[in-house]
Amino acid sequence: MGTLLQQIANGLIFGGLIAMVALGYTMVYGIIQLINFAHGEIFMTGAFGGLAVYSWVLPPAAQQIWYVALPAMLVGGAIVSVVVALLMERFAYRPLRNAPRLAPLITALGVSVFLQELVRIFFPGASSAVPFPNAFITAPLHIGSITIPASGLLMLIVSVVLSIVLETYVNGSRMGRAMRATAQDPDTARLMGINPDRVIVLTFAIGAVLAGVGGVLYGTYIHNVDPYIGFQNGLFAFAAAVLGGIGSIRGAVIGAFVIGLIKNLADIYLPGGTAYDYVWIFILLIAVLVFRPQGLFGEAERVRA
Amino acid sequence: MSTPVLQARDVSMVFGGLTALKNVSLNLDEGKIVGLIGPNGAGKTTFFNCLTGLYTPTTGQVLLKGAVLPGDPAEVTAAGVARTFQNIRLFPSMTVLENVLLGRHVRMRQGPLASLFHGPSFRRGEAAARDRARELLAFVGLGKVEDELSRNLPYGDQRRLEIARALATDPAVLLLDEPTAGMNPQETEAARQLIFRIRDLGISVVVIEHDTKFIFTLCDQVSVLVQGELLVEGTPDVVRGDPRVVEAYLGKPPEEVEAELQAVQEGETP
Amino acid sequence: MKAMARPLIIVGSIVVIIGALLPWATFVLNDGPYPDKATLEFFDAPFGLSSFRLYLEILGLAGLVFCFVPLRDKIRVLKAVGWGALGVALINTLFIIGDGGGFGAVTVADGVTAFGGIAAVIGAAVLLYGAFQLPAEPKVVINPKLPFWAEWLILLVAFVALLLLITETLTAGGHSGVSDPYIGPLFLSYLSAAGALLGVLWAVGVTKWISDMSERHRIFSIVVLVACAVAVPFTSLGNDYWMTITANIGVYAATAIGLNIVVGLAGLLDLGYVAFMGIGAFVAANLSGAVAAEFGIRLPFLLAAIVAGIVAGLFGAIVGSPTLRVRGDYLAIVTLAFGEIFVRVSQNNIGGLTGGSNAIPNIPDLSLFGTGFNDSLTIGGVQLPSGVLYYFLIVVLVALVMFVFGNLKNSRIGRAWIAIREDEDVARAMGVKTGKLKILAFMTGATLAGLAGAVFAHKLATASYDSFQFNQSVTLLAAVILGGMGTIPGAVLGAALLFVLPEELRQFSDYRLLFFGLALVVIMRFRPQGLIADRHRRAELADQDVTGESLDDTVIKEPVAVAGAKEAGA
Repeated sequence: MGTLLQQIANGLIFGGLIAMVALGYTMVYGIIQLINFAHGEIFMTGAFGGLAVYSWVLPPAAQQIWYVALPAMLVGGAIVSVVVALLMERFAYRPLRNAPRLAPLITALGVSVFLQELVRIFFPGASSAVPFPNAFITAPLHIGSITIPASGLLMLIVSVVLSIVLETYVNGSRMGRAMRATAQDPDTARLMGINPDRVIVLTFAIGAVLAGVGGVLYGTYIHNVDPYIGFQNGLFAFAAAVLGGIGSIRGAVIGAFVIGLIKNLADIYLPGGTAYDYVWIFILLIAVLVFRPQGLFGEAERVRA
Repeated sequence: MSTPVLQARDVSMVFGGLTALKNVSLNLDEGKIVGLIGPNGAGKTTFFNCLTGLYTPTTGQVLLKGAVLPGDPAEVTAAGVARTFQNIRLFPSMTVLENVLLGRHVRMRQGPLASLFHGPSFRRGEAAARDRARELLAFVGLGKVEDELSRNLPYGDQRRLEIARALATDPAVLLLDEPTAGMNPQETEAARQLIFRIRDLGISVVVIEHDTKFIFTLCDQVSVLVQGELLVEGTPDVVRGDPRVVEAYLGKPPEEVEAELQAVQEGETP
Repeated sequence: MKAMARPLIIVGSIVVIIGALLPWATFVLNDGPYPDKATLEFFDAPFGLSSFRLYLEILGLAGLVFCFVPLRDKIRVLKAVGWGALGVALINTLFIIGDGGGFGAVTVADGVTAFGGIAAVIGAAVLLYGAFQLPAEPKVVINPKLPFWAEWLILLVAFVALLLLITETLTAGGHSGVSDPYIGPLFLSYLSAAGALLGVLWAVGVTKWISDMSERHRIFSIVVLVACAVAVPFTSLGNDYWMTITANIGVYAATAIGLNIVVGLAGLLDLGYVAFMGIGAFVAANLSGAVAAEFGIRLPFLLAAIVAGIVAGLFGAIVGSPTLRVRGDYLAIVTLAFGEIFVRVSQNNIGGLTGGSNAIPNIPDLSLFGTGFNDSLTIGGVQLPSGVLYYFLIVVLVALVMFVFGNLKNSRIGRAWIAIREDEDVARAMGVKTGKLKILAFMTGATLAGLAGAVFAHKLATASYDSFQFNQSVTLLAAVILGGMGTIPGAVLGAALLFVLPEELRQFSDYRLLFFGLALVVIMRFRPQGLIADRHRRAELADQDVTGESLDDTVIKEPVAVAGAKEAGA
């Protein structure tokens, strides 16, 4: 029982992480029907951005005070992610807005590999895993028989809070309305005075903020980062977005928690244990894509000509 | 009278809560041209999609020579119903000849192995298909441009190429979706002549068109579709003279037409 | 501006020639580990007439001559010359800056001046700019009536010339795997110059004429091509090093052609394709009698390869079956997920079939009439390098795969695939059973990859999951896209470039994937049809200028080198 509870706790924490990445996938897909394959790399650059702030910007004294260090890293990571995402949108995706559908996907793949390699080659020490400071309270929490690292709890809370804020923003604000309008019909939205480019840029930026924050928190939680964390967690996040019905914000969050739970439960309860948890998630992803492409909780896919 | 080549029996199509077609029937006799007219959004193209297996009718049946058509576009084509599209849909980066050869696909029998080894029978079949394709291109008047990419053809030629591609499937019935849209009077006249010549080959034709004048001078029978329902059918003279058609099609704003239609419906159906 | 075209070209050409004659570096660039191999010695001495300076002088002269000689389609000819000159000049200037100590190396340092590089770059840029100002002309078509034997002779000469050009390009700088620091720029200079030559031939219609001829004499061309491929070990490439490299290129070219069926013809993006190669490799390894193999049986290679192909093909059908339900990018993700599952599963040594992280090593060498495939061989008194039999085996593999691709493409099936790629709904409406055909595409591609994998495992004598990771799929995809989707020469060229460049540019080998990623982005943006466009897609080029004035242009160095070769795309 203790193990089960522990795994559920771990799963929820991991789900919280995945949710922050999955939201970026789902929003970009919702607006321009692009699987932004390189979104995982935005997450990764965010983590490295946070690390860079910690190592080279913060004075040693500030590094020790978590309520100074962590916010600085979060802001730094988010800024790096946003810059990367906007450059990506402007130079790689925007010119292809009207190209055949394979073209942006191949481009996304190229961007993804490019960013991975860029970080691996040019970030000092990044050719293997780089230690990431635990810039938060180090003492774990003990609840009954289970142990939760403080940084994990923080990740979960931040993720849930940000998801709720995002959902409220998209449903409630003027810009959110513009986003939904653009998602449904960019041409009509343009006629209504909405600038689709602005909306798309904003979507990328919001997704990047979430991913960047997620990246820094991930580093704090796991204690090391490497250039490939984006690829792997990006795939999980994509699986989550698909599971929840890509394009739907709430779906992505639910999907992320499902993925998190499955991964951590598979470690204990499914044949093969930790070595095969990825395999189960990918099998789930394929099954969902094949049998229920609109996602477990989504509505039927809109018919597109 | 013999059985019609193509017969639609009480075809209805419902999308979600929206009824796009309601109990539409149509009989197409062999060697005839039937026109389908109606205002925008009357369900003409939806009806076409039901005839070609792209949509499965919610209720009702489509029969070809007395047999129910399968629910798959590829099989419908194989059975002998070919079509063109309202907004021309050629394979843009294939050549003119290849577009027509693709139409031959369904009449060719070479499987993967034959295609792999290019044996003598493969080459015979391929040569025959090319001959037939060239014949059809000559028939529609595109004999000289077979190696052009289809997307580089002028608009009117693209329409004719689409017809040639459809004819390549050896259809018993050809469905033409707005074959003269965007054409000038000369081209429209050429299209009319082409459709007559297709009819003379023994192929029955259904034409959707906005241009009522074109339809009335082309067709043996005309059906008028309004708001997803069959309003009138008959010979061009009958249809042309029918006051409901004039009203529905030319005269009144849609709301009034709808109200009147309902009145007519209630009067007619017990 | 049109009136300025000719003066610009003349000035540009003259500056290029003068630049080539000036000193290029302010100090001697031979402080590397191979001072005697410092073939760029002319960097610091003026009036050199060798290597890249010779190319520049020739290109400059060509610019002058073509400017005055009456010539059809002058714009394309001079663009090719301009791109070539710019490529050579830029590569060497950048190399001196990068390797020779900064900007001072190409300007003034220690009282010495060296403006050759900068002058050549400026001259070439002016020449190119002038060429762009020339009036556009229709593409030249030459089609003289010749007796068939004359055409055969021309084809023979053309193919032999091509073979020589390729061997010369590969061995430019005369090395065989030694890490000479100058290899990179020498190779790229040669590549640019050769690209300019091919570009000029293309512009005057020669390449089209020859390719039309080879189309007419298809069988003859194939025989000559195979003969040329067989002749490679007898040329300057006939050493162990190049046998290994060319064999690797061959395996990946074969795989890339298989992928080209799926992506290029049927338009289905497969991001886990290399897994099929892996399946083939593991099947063959397990049937090879290797000690670590799960089954203690040893099948003859041919049989093992066939089984490998069949098993891979079955997996292809399974992975492809979601195409019945999902389309486009969703399908791409399904294949990606499959690829990841394959890597994980084989990393964990599932069922003992893959050896996990130990791989399946020591796959026995193949042998033919008692000669091991890794042994060297003497034919007619000529000592051939070791591994030559593998090379021949791979030539057979590539020929087989080309045969499959070419025949399928020009058949009812191939047309249907292209139709599916172009407009799936209409293809269905025209009677194409799209589901079956898409699965067939996956199966065919997977079978070919499985065969290639079987050869690959034997060639390497080992099968490890590490060779079949996602980045290999990306590399193969990049090869197909770079070379040109839907064409055989495209896939071969792409595979060759992607696997030769890292060899030639060892000092940059760490940047390999960085460059591939960038290449995917840049190609999709500026030349989505690849270097060698499909006949079907070529018309798109006519109205679309490749060398647009984009913002991204400034960040790219590498494609400039390829730009010369790009013009050869015919």
